This record gives sequence, C-alpha cells and structure tokens, in this order.
Amino acid sequence: MPHTEGPAPELFELVDVSFEVDSRPVLSHVSDHIHEGHVTAIVGPSGSGKSTLLRMLNRLEEPTSGEVRFHGVPLRDLEVHELRRRVGLVAQRPVMLTDRVDSEVRVGAPDLDDDSVDRLLEQVSLGHLDRDRLPEELSGGEQQRLALARALAVGPEALLLDEPTSALDAKSAKSVDAVVRSLIDSGLSVVLVSHDLKRAASLTHDALVLDHGRLIERGDPAAVSYLGGS
Amino acid sequence: MTAIPLLAADTSTANIPTWWGVAASAALVLVAAAISWRERLGLERDVAIAATRALVQLAAVGALLLFVFERGGLVAAFGWLTVMVVIAGFVAGGRAASIPRSRQHAWWAIGIAVGVTMGLLLGLGTIDAVPQVVIPVGGMVVSTAMVTAGLALQRTADVVVDQRARIEARLALGLPARDAFLGPYRTAMRTALVPTVDTTKVVGLISLPGAMTGLILAGVDPWDAIRYQIVVMYMLLGAAFIAAVLSARFAQRVLFDDAERLVRL
Repeated sequence: MPHTEGPAPELFELVDVSFEVDSRPVLSHVSDHIHEGHVTAIVGPSGSGKSTLLRMLNRLEEPTSGEVRFHGVPLRDLEVHELRRRVGLVAQRPVMLTDRVDSEVRVGAPDLDDDSVDRLLEQVSLGHLDRDRLPEELSGGEQQRLALARALAVGPEALLLDEPTSALDAKSAKSVDAVVRSLIDSGLSVVLVSHDLKRAASLTHDALVLDHGRLIERGDPAAVSYLGGS
Repeated sequence: MTAIPLLAADTSTANIPTWWGVAASAALVLVAAAISWRERLGLERDVAIAATRALVQLAAVGALLLFVFERGGLVAAFGWLTVMVVIAGFVAGGRAASIPRSRQHAWWAIGIAVGVTMGLLLGLGTIDAVPQVVIPVGGMVVSTAMVTAGLALQRTADVVVDQRARIEARLALGLPARDAFLGPYRTAMRTALVPTVDTTKVVGLISLPGAMTGLILAGVDPWDAIRYQIVVMYMLLGAAFIAAVLSARFAQRVLFDDAERLVRL
C-alpha cells in the first residue's frame, strides 16, 4: 500500500453536505475532505448514508444542501459526463450490459483497441476468458472484476467502490480484493464503502465513520475507534 | 389519387335494424341478466347499467354525429377529433401516472400521430375530406394511438424501475442519458408495439376488422371494403409507431434531471 509523504492534495471536499429523501434526513451536515492518491473508506452501520455519500461524488445523487468539490471545483460547475469519466463507480452488485466480454469492457470506451481490452482484462485477472463469452454466464466474482475493467477502461483518476465484495462468496471476494489491492498499489485514488471493518482497516489510509447520516469520526484507520483503533 | 368511396352506391342489400329491432335485441340483455340471477353472479345491476349506458352514450353520439354531418362541416369534425385526442391523452397518460407530466406527453404524442396520419391520408387524397370519413377514420387513429402511447408510457415507467441499475451503470461510465437509456427504451418500445404488429399480421385470418365489417354490412362490395381496410391497417400501424415512440421520447426528457440523474418513480 503506497503512502504519500506529506499532506496529499485534496481530491474531494465535502462542504456541509446534507441529503433528504421525502423530508427524511439521510446525510446531515457532513464536512470533510478526501485526499488524492489515498484510499479512503466510508464505514458505518446499515442505513448510515455511506452509499449515498459515495454516489454524490460522481453526481448520481445531489446534496439537498451543501456542496461537493472535485479538485476545488464545485461539481455543479463541471461537465457531468467528464466528471463521471474521471470518477468511476463500481456498484455493489455487478450489472452486465452487453453480450460479450470484450464489448462489456468497451461500454464506456467504444474505441478501445483489442490490445487495450486484453491489458485491462489481464489487470483484473480475467485474461483467460474467451472474449466472446456471455458476461451473464460468469461467476459473481468474475462479473465484479469485469465491472472493474469496464470502469478502468474509461481512464478514471479516482474509483468509487460501493461494497464491491459484499454480494460475493468468500472465494470470489478474495479474487476481487486482490484486484482492488493491485489498483491501490498502482496509486489510483480509491473511495471504498465497506461494512467489513477489518477489510477497510487493512486497505485504507483514511476512514470516515458515518452514523445516522452524521460524520462521527474520521482519521487514520488505526486510530479510529469504530474500526477498533485507540 | 382517387379517394376511396365510403359507401357503395347501392346499399339496398343492407338490413339496418329499426328501433323496434333494437328493442327486440334488448331481450338478449334480459337473457344476460337472467343468467347472472340464475347463477347468482350478482351482476344483474351491472348488466342493466351497462346496457343503459350503451344506449344513452351511443344515442348521444349518434345525435351529435347527425348534427356534425348535416350542419357542422369539417371544422366540427376536426373539433370532434381534438376532443377525442384530449380524452385519449388523459387515459393514456393515466397508465403511467408515476412519470412526471405523463398526460402532457400522451397528448402531444397522440396529437402528432393523428395529425401526421390524417394529414398524409387527406393530403394524398386517399380518403375524402368530409365529416363522414374524418370522424370514424380519425377515431380509429386516436384509439390506436391512445392504446400504444399508454402502453409505451407504462413500459417506459416499468423499465425505469426494473432496469435502474443498468441505466445508472451506464451513466456512471459517463454516457449521456440518451445513450444510457437506449437499451431499456428499445425493450419498452418493442413490448408496446408488438401487439399492433401482430394484429396487422393476422388481420383477416383470425379477425375480421371493424371497418371492413361495417362496410360489408352497409352493402359495400367486399373488394372495396378490403381496400379500405388495408388503408386503415397501414394507417394504424403508422399511428401506433409515431404515438409510442414520441410518448416515450417526451417522457425520457423528464426522466433525467439537469445533471443526467435518473429520477425516482
């Protein structure tokens, strides 16, 4: 896991962010920052607003009040397609969108050449797959890794991972974890929502702890009490 | 192009029921009510209401048609069509009330479908520009456009719910909303339009369509009636596709907000 020397530049800044659904608060006045080149975990109990916060980072959700900034620029001022290409998102359950493995990698990058597709599939340990396999027939772990390759194909500078292994069995989860670790080692900025505290603590530089939509703790995972730190 | 005549010159072979004949046919309503009573279905009251409503509604429409045919002219005929479009939009839009402004989308889609179809047929001289033709033919177009627009809107609402994860997965890759929605949109359109296409495929084989039946009953030569029916089927096919695609495309504009997020239905 790479550690940057000195303070890392800010990737995202959350400024007094609140979010409501039908007048029910999901996030309340969350202010914090997420560093570039870091792996940041968003942890907390079910329903604490973790996934909502993650989805706000590429504007799949919009704060009811407050503001999210990317490299200091409010998300509203960025062209939304460009933002989403720079900030990839991999959902909890993989959703396959095409009928071929290579087409799946090209969903967001239709001009990608065969060599690049091969390289991406190798990167997520799927180099062995026939390119014309039906993605729906792959195992859950393979589908999730294919979803990772699909997100990487667009060339993001940050990747948002919404509990990418929670819907998988232990063996599949391990295979996805290995890929995530290699991405982290390559220096990609990663924001990870996880319910697995041990996993979050072992993977990340920073942890944000949410409870009932409020940010109750943040810092080095080793020092965050929610993760068993001191 | 010569307009297809609505009626043959000689309609003397047609046996149009008199009002006494209508009264006699009411015996069948009594039969229906008697069956309901005998089998304890509890539908006697509904049968009575349905039969009375049919009589009153059709009599009112008949009186109105008589007025329009004799005195209203084409202006009244198109006014009639406009009212039908308004009612049809209300019904079709109501099929997908979860979609914001669904009735508005249905009104526009049905209105344009009717305008294009009738405009083409009248413009090319395929049908006569007289109230006796404009109202019944237009009514068929409105009815088909209403059903397909309603289905298209309903299926669109369904795919937004069922395929939300797929749409958002594409949005998250930076695809424009229109591209992200393309697959689910096509699924919705196929589902909405297959019934119309299938009906056109089997016309004459398993069903004798209304326009043709009506013309034959009125004494028109079957060959002429069939020509008329072919025009009607092609017209309805066109109207169905226009209404379905437009209603879904109009709806799509409110399914995504300014930041191209899929709204929750």
